[in-house]
Amino acid sequence: MPKQVQDAYIVAATRTPIGKAPRGMFRNTRPDDMLAYVLKSVLAQCPELDAGAVEDVIVGCAMPEAEQGINVARIGLLLAGLPNSVPGMTLNRFCSSGLQAIAFAADRIRLGDSDVMIAAGTESMSMIPMGGNKPSFSPAIFEKDDNIAIGYGMGITAENVARQWSISREQQDLFAAESHRRALRATDAGEFKDEITPYEIVDRKPDLNTREVAVTRRTAAADEGPRRDTSPERLAKLKPAFFSKGSVTAGNSSQMSDGAAAVVLMSEAAMQRFNLSPLGRFIGYAVAGVPPEIMGIGPVKAIPKVLQQVGLRLDDMEWIELNEAFAAQSLAVIKELGLDPAKVNPLGGAIALGHPLGATGAVRAATLMHGMRRRRNKYGMITMCIGTGMGAAGVFEVL
Amino acid sequence: MQSNQPFIVRKVAVLGAGVMGAQIAAHLANANVDVLLFELPAKEGDPNGNVIKAIDNLRKLEPSPLAVARTATLIRPANYDQHLDLLRECDVVIEAISERMDWKTDLYRKVAPFLGEHAIFASNTSGLSINSLAQAFPENLRHRFCGVHFFNPPRYMHLVELIACDRTDPSLLDDLEKFLVTTLGKGVIRAKDTPNFIANRVGVFSMLATIHHAQQFGLGFDVVDALTGPLIGRPKSATFRTADVVGLDTFAHVVKTMADTLPDDPWHRFYDSPGWLKKLIEAGALGQKTGRGVYQKVGKDIQVLDGASGNYRAGGGQADEAVVEILKNKNSAERFAQLHASSHPHAQFLWSIFRDTFQYCAVHLAEIADNARDLDLAIRWGFGWSQGPLEIWQAAGWREVAQWIADDIAAGKTMTAAPLPAWVTEPGRSGVHAPDGSYSPPANANVPRSALPVYRRQLFPDRVLGEHVEYGHTIFETGAVRCWHTGDDIAIVSFKSRMHAIGDDVLDGVLEAIDQAERNYAALVIWQTEPPFSVGANLKKTSAGGGQPSKPSAAGALFKQFKRAAESAVLKAARSLNVADQLMAGRLAEVERLVEQFQVTTQALKYSMVPTVAAVDGFAFGGGCEFVMHCDRAVATMESYIGLVEVGVGLLPAGGGCKEFVLRAAQDAKGGDSFAFLRRYFEAVAMAQVGRSAEHAREIGYLRSTDRIVMNRFELLAIAKAEAHLLAQSGYRPPLKPRDIPVLGRSAAATIKAFIANMHAGKFISEHDYLIGSKIADVMCGGDVDAGSLVDEQWLLDLERKHFMELLATEKTQARIEQMLKTGKPLRN
Repeated sequence: MPKQVQDAYIVAATRTPIGKAPRGMFRNTRPDDMLAYVLKSVLAQCPELDAGAVEDVIVGCAMPEAEQGINVARIGLLLAGLPNSVPGMTLNRFCSSGLQAIAFAADRIRLGDSDVMIAAGTESMSMIPMGGNKPSFSPAIFEKDDNIAIGYGMGITAENVARQWSISREQQDLFAAESHRRALRATDAGEFKDEITPYEIVDRKPDLNTREVAVTRRTAAADEGPRRDTSPERLAKLKPAFFSKGSVTAGNSSQMSDGAAAVVLMSEAAMQRFNLSPLGRFIGYAVAGVPPEIMGIGPVKAIPKVLQQVGLRLDDMEWIELNEAFAAQSLAVIKELGLDPAKVNPLGGAIALGHPLGATGAVRAATLMHGMRRRRNKYGMITMCIGTGMGAAGVFEVL
Repeated sequence: MQSNQPFIVRKVAVLGAGVMGAQIAAHLANANVDVLLFELPAKEGDPNGNVIKAIDNLRKLEPSPLAVARTATLIRPANYDQHLDLLRECDVVIEAISERMDWKTDLYRKVAPFLGEHAIFASNTSGLSINSLAQAFPENLRHRFCGVHFFNPPRYMHLVELIACDRTDPSLLDDLEKFLVTTLGKGVIRAKDTPNFIANRVGVFSMLATIHHAQQFGLGFDVVDALTGPLIGRPKSATFRTADVVGLDTFAHVVKTMADTLPDDPWHRFYDSPGWLKKLIEAGALGQKTGRGVYQKVGKDIQVLDGASGNYRAGGGQADEAVVEILKNKNSAERFAQLHASSHPHAQFLWSIFRDTFQYCAVHLAEIADNARDLDLAIRWGFGWSQGPLEIWQAAGWREVAQWIADDIAAGKTMTAAPLPAWVTEPGRSGVHAPDGSYSPPANANVPRSALPVYRRQLFPDRVLGEHVEYGHTIFETGAVRCWHTGDDIAIVSFKSRMHAIGDDVLDGVLEAIDQAERNYAALVIWQTEPPFSVGANLKKTSAGGGQPSKPSAAGALFKQFKRAAESAVLKAARSLNVADQLMAGRLAEVERLVEQFQVTTQALKYSMVPTVAAVDGFAFGGGCEFVMHCDRAVATMESYIGLVEVGVGLLPAGGGCKEFVLRAAQDAKGGDSFAFLRRYFEAVAMAQVGRSAEHAREIGYLRSTDRIVMNRFELLAIAKAEAHLLAQSGYRPPLKPRDIPVLGRSAAATIKAFIANMHAGKFISEHDYLIGSKIADVMCGGDVDAGSLVDEQWLLDLERKHFMELLATEKTQARIEQMLKTGKPLRN
């Protein structure tokens, strides 16, 4: 913190509801359209902000190709109607891309080079599958046993973590059921209302009887993932998805999802100029590497690193958004660092709410900012594991 | 119907989306017939709700009524409230609602005004009188009314009985027969309007006789099934498991029809369901559909009902070994003499059911069928017996057996005292089937086969015992193949090996046939006198068939698919390899020479100066599949099951199968990125995928879009020859050998390896599976070369051979082959 010249404040944060992929409500909604929508929505929350004052739009995306390719950030901001003068960049650090975008945007402000930035994330897993449309691996991976884990799917790494940290199937299923329970409780209590901007989904289907295009419109206002019909017993019946005698199932893994989120960051001067008050302050961010075959344990390295960087203790954190890539790795991280389960994902996590890869960091920033304000918390954290073995953690303060 | 109008079936409606109706509709769609499926409108929601549900349900049935899953989308749903108008466009309407006279009558009234001017209206019924049903049909339309009787499951059962009412226009029936035979591929038997027609009348009686005698001899149901299955040329489901599959209520219903409608039949008192059957039905134990019937599955165990106590007990009762030895005797006359003479209850039981069924057939033949051939073929096609009852009798020695039956009637041992009709014992009779035809009681003479033009397409129809057959004129013959022609310029080569496996002698024969065809004929057709097409490369004679592969433990869908496919194919794969003998002797060089010769032969099929056509029916595995892939054309029956299954025994296709897939992927991509196509072909090879129909084989890629699918296997040779003619007539030249085949190279191979590395890391496949998959990836990506490198076919063939030999040299592949040959069960190592 002492290295920075000014603070970076978050003045607005919003997201779409999160849809299930690949057959959920956003299956035909393009990620660039979702991005444009959240950019417009987040700017609408800053009524006196001149959009031309935005100095850059940084967008996280984990599979930046096809519908979310060719620098989706620039396309999204132009589609959102921002002036041509506003630039945009897309960045990719897999699952932490959205959080990384916030960190980079904040750093531009903290360095004194910018006063108004937008950070966002967008991802359609319905349109771009995990691994992209054309996965391709280097032959070098198979030339040395040390490298083979580069080619491992995430599920295999979760099984490795479960084994190494002795996380049982029962524990994972209980954790997953609790994620759904919390998510539903939060949804029913309207806890996501502050952060979600409802999205109008337009379906265009050929009506073979009338020979016309049938256009239907419906408004999506809530996350699609949480299930009321789940329970530890039902989860226990699912079969292992990645390891023949393993414990990781579709039910105790994060859901594949579609969604987008955006955050406006400013310097104090800009806030005064545009007559805005802060939701919170960005404090710090760190990433760290771990072996690819246990990628899920990444936060164990990133969390202490960021805490040391910002000079806070784990106990100072009142709310921790720990991305539930898998129940196995979430539980291992909780166990290894001694996190308080009550503070971790109080509104549920990715197992219930979904994990739109590169958007997740920004999505959960919206959750954290609004949630901590409601609960009058001070410090909170967003953390996640990252494919091929990394962890990221960001610390936020609500003012 | 005016006979001067050609009969064209543009559209068919099926009324009633029950199990039979929906499956008949599915089979029509399999045959590319535009089909409307009608059902009652749903009371709530979409009026088509009921029929849509029935169509969806087709996807879940096993064995699948659909050639490929997407066929279901081609069936058009309809309901009687909204869509009766559409009936006007239908040339054939098949009614298949429940077997209730009052319901059928109501329906006829409702639909009659909407029938097209020339439409044929056929009621699918297993028992109701066609003339009674016709009475419910408007009189002015009655000449277009008839009965059809499909057997369940209609895709797989060859038989369809066709029944005229008194007023049916004969030419209309001929038209419908042509449609059923050629378009739907069925075996049509004209039946008389007698209760349960031919097949069910005899088949169900045979089951009743079995039930009766089982009780007399005190035999358990499991023992009866052990005795009345494959040991006597009947399906594995034998008697009681067949009843469970059919549905015990359905069986009882058919029996009741006989009781109600045949009061004067000498066997009438036996047309009654036994007490245990009534109790089961009352208890809702209706067989397979309710999970409990004569048998029930408890965990992994199959339990069987104890008829006396009404409780279930452990099954697995066996036939007596001495009786089994008798049944293994290939000489029918000796076999029957021994059965007749044996005092063992199992032998006496079998003799009794044969005897009473023979007596029944003899007594009723004149009443229910036109001739003996119709009766025998109906039972073969409808009940899956390898021979019809009268054929069995004839083979056993007609006069001798007739005398034994007469003796037993006189001794009061038979179920009834009905005497054998006079024709049975008339002087000089040695059977009912002879070269000039089969005996017809009404004509009191032997009558030939149907003269309908549709049967001219059947060069070699399903024959009955004693019918003469001559497979054309020999061009040359070796111990392994026969090359022949039917009097024209098409050479045909047929394999003589068991299961038409391919050994070096077959390869020599095929090369010689190609040479002969190039010199003296216009084309070469590979056709077998009976299925399968070929189980692949040579089999070891000592390799036993056998055990069911164990079910895969559950995993991700992909992995399940992998294991299921691999396991079901693995048994067949072992038989398809000519490596056993050489392997045992450690003669790897010998094997390599064989693989090379195999490659030479498949390449010769592709590049010969005359067109080559593979006429496929049944299995075409491994090397057989590679033959199919290399011929200029494949003509395959819908019930062809084609696949490259080599991985099942730890090998990879090395007869050009991988190479053809590389070529096909490049063609599919049309100059673009072929990875997605190649990956699908890789999966087909690596998972040993076998097409569940010819259409499915086309979906996988074993068959090409230019290959032809035929519905009736007895038309296969005629159509294959026509294809060969057409190719020859259209100025055939073999393709030029490509020298610029783009391969995807080392990066793509690594990407595929990453995919299987995850399966390996997840312990879904073994280290050795991973090695095999890696080698297939290397072959199909063209080896350790840069992406986009251009190679020729020989480059790929050399890779196939190299990796095949490397796998064969591994202990684990050798162990897999050895275990397969010793136990018939796959080894997963």
